Amino acid sequence: MLILVTGGAASGKSAHAERLLCDRAPSSRLYLATMQPFGAAARARIARHRALRQGKGFETLERTTDLVGLALPRRYDGILLEDLGNLLANEIFAPDGAGDTALGSVLAGIAHLQACCETLVVVTDEIFSDGMDYAPETARYIRDLAALNRALAARAGLVYESVCGILLRLKGEGNT
Amino acid sequence: MTVLIIGGAHQGKAALARALYPALPLCENLHLRVRDELAAGRDPMALLGTIGGHAVTCDEVGCGVVPIDRADEAYREAVGRLCCALAAEADVVVRVTAGIPQFIKGENPCT
Repeated sequence: MLILVTGGAASGKSAHAERLLCDRAPSSRLYLATMQPFGAAARARIARHRALRQGKGFETLERTTDLVGLALPRRYDGILLEDLGNLLANEIFAPDGAGDTALGSVLAGIAHLQACCETLVVVTDEIFSDGMDYAPETARYIRDLAALNRALAARAGLVYESVCGILLRLKGEGNT
Repeated sequence: MTVLIIGGAHQGKAALARALYPALPLCENLHLRVRDELAAGRDPMALLGTIGGHAVTCDEVGCGVVPIDRADEAYREAVGRLCCALAAEADVVVRVTAGIPQFIKGENPCT
């Protein structure tokens, strides 16, 4: 089962994603962190997410690119991938990223993770509503993330949006 | 009673607050107050203690690309966290699109 959790910045989506995974994955849980820890803002965000996860029985793995090539030590009840926006940015912009084939690489990586667990929860970002014009490389990033969100939402059994910490179900049947 | 009304800019949030909750004092544009607090070097989360019992409107500002400017990013983050905290305390949370309310927490007082 794939579960997609989207939302704007600071909308409470991480906390909901963790809870959704913990509800479904009774024991073995993997937290897959995609953020590159560059800069104070990124480090603060990582620290906040670590504090959220504390005591909830997650193994933590950092992986910023190439999910397809990730060899996991075991099969998990649940994997939480956080988050898609960072992963795509790394694949597009980082020196070791997939570059032109970023979109396909991320999709293949998600399929690989799904094969390694019962429940995969993917956190993604709503970045599509600021009405700004961006340089071509940023515009491409926005377009690709939107394509990923559409593709994963089509595959997912449950899709949620977090708004002010309130979880809205956009697709599927289940409790919030 | 505390009501939080969120949505994009110019969606009719204040008009809806006046129509649905005429008895509640109105606090408009919480996002602008967050900006003022940050500019003054204060913690915007402290606003939480001053807006209970109000109908509060706030623009949803977190649904764009992460700003390059650190201060812009911090502003967006602060508005989001304050709205999460306020929504948790509020009796009703309404999301307005094109003047149409969705009650995402609590009940519509007119039904």
